[in-house]
Amino acid sequence: MKQSYVQKLIRKRFAAYIVVLTLLPFSTCSAATHSASDTKAPYSKYDPVMIGKGYGNLRVKVIDGRTQKPLEGAEIVVLETERRYKTDVNGLTPWIKAPVIRSSRYRFLVNELHGQLTLISYKNGYRDSIHMGVRMNEGAVNKTTIWQYQIAPGLDRRIEPVVYIEPYHRLWLIQLADRFRRPSQLGEGYERP
Amino acid sequence: MSKIQQLSFFGTLGFLICGMLSASFPTQFAKAQTGAVGSTSFPSTIRVAIRENNASGEPDSRGRIIYVSNVNFDQYCRDVLPNEWFPNWNQSSLEAGAIAVKMFAWFHHLHPVTIDGFTFDVDNTVNFQTYRAESDQPTTDQAYYSTRNLAFVKTDSEILELNYRAGYENNPNWQYRNAGIMAQWGSEYWATQGRTPVQILEFYYMGRMIRTIPGVGRG
Repeated sequence: MKQSYVQKLIRKRFAAYIVVLTLLPFSTCSAATHSASDTKAPYSKYDPVMIGKGYGNLRVKVIDGRTQKPLEGAEIVVLETERRYKTDVNGLTPWIKAPVIRSSRYRFLVNELHGQLTLISYKNGYRDSIHMGVRMNEGAVNKTTIWQYQIAPGLDRRIEPVVYIEPYHRLWLIQLADRFRRPSQLGEGYERP
Repeated sequence: MSKIQQLSFFGTLGFLICGMLSASFPTQFAKAQTGAVGSTSFPSTIRVAIRENNASGEPDSRGRIIYVSNVNFDQYCRDVLPNEWFPNWNQSSLEAGAIAVKMFAWFHHLHPVTIDGFTFDVDNTVNFQTYRAESDQPTTDQAYYSTRNLAFVKTDSEILELNYRAGYENNPNWQYRNAGIMAQWGSEYWATQGRTPVQILEFYYMGRMIRTIPGVGRG
């Protein structure tokens, strides 16, 4: 017996519905799993380091800016990798394998002598601390200290992050100024004894 | 000129010379007494004048002095070295730098200055040496402690101000040797050539010698 066109269409649609209904729970499940992993470690697979760039070892110490005592349980974020680390009872993070990223602005003019990283430290009851320009070198062991300031109720009316910008190393600044110095406009003159 | 006039002239001249000598000798003698390794004790603290920051938040070498901080001498040297030398340079270069930083600080500890009513040994800028609290690095700390018991001094052990400047990269920087000033890039150059810290110091500071500081350990 030949099936009518309507019967064929109904059977095809039915099969399609079966397939969709079968796959739907799996798709929602996988989406739910993905969002759960995002909440836990949102950027765990993100690594912006370019090929040929190196890493250094970094350890961050967080201290109370007023008492100079170590702060336990502060969360440090390395912005360039978006990874997070907690400080221990001595205010120290574990050793971090951190990338050495030099600014591309100067790359073809004067090679920067060190890379720079940006860190943010968070802790309940303290002002957020943004630490820019942390110096990094390939294969080198580096450490840095972040000062955090306790929020004093009544005194701190306007609570905003504290920023600390680590300057470029003076040896590189000397090279940079000499690189663009014109012989007819000496200024302080070339580096000399 | 009569005989009396001659006598009074030479008498006055002699008096002036004696006065000048008596004024200069005790000072030099005292300086040699207080500024020699062995006769002067290793500093425990150093007075660091903290200058105000410029608009971008870095210490201004022409800024006002805000206060004077008493800093542990070892800690001061450790917090200067990574800001003057590069922490990832060769160990020989860092050790030569550690000795220079220490001797510079020791010399100024013995020769304090008073500016704007503040008496201090050094300030935290390139007027003296770049100092940033809590900036010490593991490699530079190691270089400092491995040379902590060593001094680089005149042949009579007098403590010197060991000066240094940046110099030029990948270059022995002979002109700095002629000026008696260590080139920092030069120290790294010689370190890559396999020179020891003492050889690097002897290259730039001619006629000086290494000495062990009595009673000072490496720890």
